[in-house]
Amino acid sequence: MALNICGLGMVERRVRCPSCKAVVVCSGNPGEIVHITCPTCGSLGKVTFPTDIPSVPLPVDSSLVVQTMHLTKMFGKFTAVKDLQLTIKAGEMYGLLGPNGSGKTTTIKMLCGLTRPTSGTAVVLGEQVPLKNKMHLIGYMPQDTALYIDNTVHENLRLFGEIYSLSKEKLKQREQEVLQFIELGKWRNSLVSTLSGGMRHRVSLACALLHEPQVLFLDEPTVGVDPELRATFWDYFTQLTQQGVTIIISTHYLDEAGHCSRAGFLRHGRLIAEGTPDELKQKMNAASLEDAFLALTKKVDS
Amino acid sequence: MKMRRLFAFTRRALHQFRHDRRTLAFVLVMPLLMIIVFGYTFGGEPKGLNIAVVNNDEAIAVGGGTGEVSFAEELLAYLDDETFIVHTYSSQQEAEVDLHDARVWAILSFSSNFSSNLAQRFSSSGDATKVSVVNIMVDGTNPTVSSSVIRGIQGALQDTLKEIQSLFQLPVSTEPITIDVSYDYAGGNHAEFIDSFAPAVISFALMMVTTMLTIILFVNERRYGTLQRLLVSPAKESEIVLGYALAFAILGIFQSIVVLVAAILLFHITIIGNVFLALFVVILLGVGHQGLGILLSSGARNELQAIQFIPLIIFPSVLLAGLFWPVESIPGYLQPLSYLIPLRYAIDAERAIMLRGWGLEGVWIQIVILIFFAVVTLVGSIVLLKRRRE
Repeated sequence: MALNICGLGMVERRVRCPSCKAVVVCSGNPGEIVHITCPTCGSLGKVTFPTDIPSVPLPVDSSLVVQTMHLTKMFGKFTAVKDLQLTIKAGEMYGLLGPNGSGKTTTIKMLCGLTRPTSGTAVVLGEQVPLKNKMHLIGYMPQDTALYIDNTVHENLRLFGEIYSLSKEKLKQREQEVLQFIELGKWRNSLVSTLSGGMRHRVSLACALLHEPQVLFLDEPTVGVDPELRATFWDYFTQLTQQGVTIIISTHYLDEAGHCSRAGFLRHGRLIAEGTPDELKQKMNAASLEDAFLALTKKVDS
Repeated sequence: MKMRRLFAFTRRALHQFRHDRRTLAFVLVMPLLMIIVFGYTFGGEPKGLNIAVVNNDEAIAVGGGTGEVSFAEELLAYLDDETFIVHTYSSQQEAEVDLHDARVWAILSFSSNFSSNLAQRFSSSGDATKVSVVNIMVDGTNPTVSSSVIRGIQGALQDTLKEIQSLFQLPVSTEPITIDVSYDYAGGNHAEFIDSFAPAVISFALMMVTTMLTIILFVNERRYGTLQRLLVSPAKESEIVLGYALAFAILGIFQSIVVLVAAILLFHITIIGNVFLALFVVILLGVGHQGLGILLSSGARNELQAIQFIPLIIFPSVLLAGLFWPVESIPGYLQPLSYLIPLRYAIDAERAIMLRGWGLEGVWIQIVILIFFAVVTLVGSIVLLKRRRE
């Protein structure tokens, strides 16, 4: 059965008649109380529309790494992400761009399975989120560095390597590789709590890369990072895409997104424009992505 | 569940303890300080102690055949009924079984000629060489209790002697008369306060350390985002919880051994039971409190809030679990509450193992309760962690 979309955020779901327990199909918004007429027993009744994720499989396109349909997240009455339709192909570096509070982090968290969508579906690598079988193929670098600060760099890497069941030899080899990649080989045995903020960011990236993920979710990796290191980070990310890793990255430094192969502008939880950086600039006749975004918001508001 | 992932969490936590020398010092110094400070200064006055009486005394005629008196009965009447609950036994053997199984703290036995010998000794025509003996057998494992028992019985003896003095109209100036008392300590050794305090401190220290460190560990896991990050990994909640449980068990064994060795070297405490069983019991308590710590940590947003839970756990445990004074000395209406405190079972079991030399057959009830506590809190914390997905 395909998911029927009945309006903004409204979906069709099967509920049970309160009097005879027969299955009734009705439409509504998640969490809303809807009135139904039961076709079996003919009685009128009130039911609470289910808030769980409809377990309806999307038609899976194997070339797509990320596929979302009507992805919506509400926190109480506040809509953080609304009706998001994303398709991201293998090998892309996709930028989720937008100001603070536009829904970038919520989107990434829904794609990683950290946050349950209120409605809609997300599919990553052909499996519905939250992933089970393909969990080891994705990497995630959260906004906060999320490291064990009372352990050394090596101990953090070792923990993550063992969580991903890397063999001893593989773990040793990968640890050397990622430490070389983030240029922190000298700091291997230092406690994370003694490292600077920028260094911690690099260690956090290393932990996300250790198990050679096919897809990498990076949640604002350049926030609070000095301009020099930001440039270095974008070099890292470009290198990774050259190695075939698909990257989904969020940032509010809009001009950084020039490095992306494709980007989407998010505002108030909605995707207001999407395309390659050049397309986005041309569309609004703007010199930079920042100008393009500002012009676009003006246009949407008017 | 993969053992390698479980051990990965264990190793991480142990490395963290290793890097954090001050916490490690706290883990060891705290219980030693407790033993030294409290061990030397504390003494309570327990109440409601169960004692056994085997009374074979035959009453004698007094006052020219007008009445009968049993001095044993008199002595029993003088026992403070707030301190003692008297149970009468018909045979010494039965009473000794109950003393050995810790159902009574002491046995008072009177021989059949207790009253007649006393009368003989003090009447003008009597034989002064006749000796009356009250035999007191005391459970030696808890010195607070055994000294209370002895003090209480001696008080009653003095009162009885005064009565005898007036009965036989002895001048007050007469040499003080005495009743011979033989003491017999059950349980193999005569423990000093420090002996019975050591098993309690081991349990209490492990409970404190595990609860505090777990709360802080998990508050930090949440605050630094590592717990959320693990959601995007193959790590399972059971591996995280059990991995850390193993780390705390190792820390607990280390702590308990250091405390025991220090107590043996410094205070010459004696352990007659199986040390491995004693360690097993204390680890069970620790693992249960680790689960409790994880559950409590969800109610705290930062370390400061986490610290506020500590008194909540410590005060009921200190007051109700029999740490300093026996549960019998707590007011009656509070005693049922002590059954809700896991530490009580651990202390009971530890004292029975280390001081009485009991084996599994004597402490299995406490062990079952502690296993139940550990399973409930660990399963609870695994369920709680699974719900962290927003």
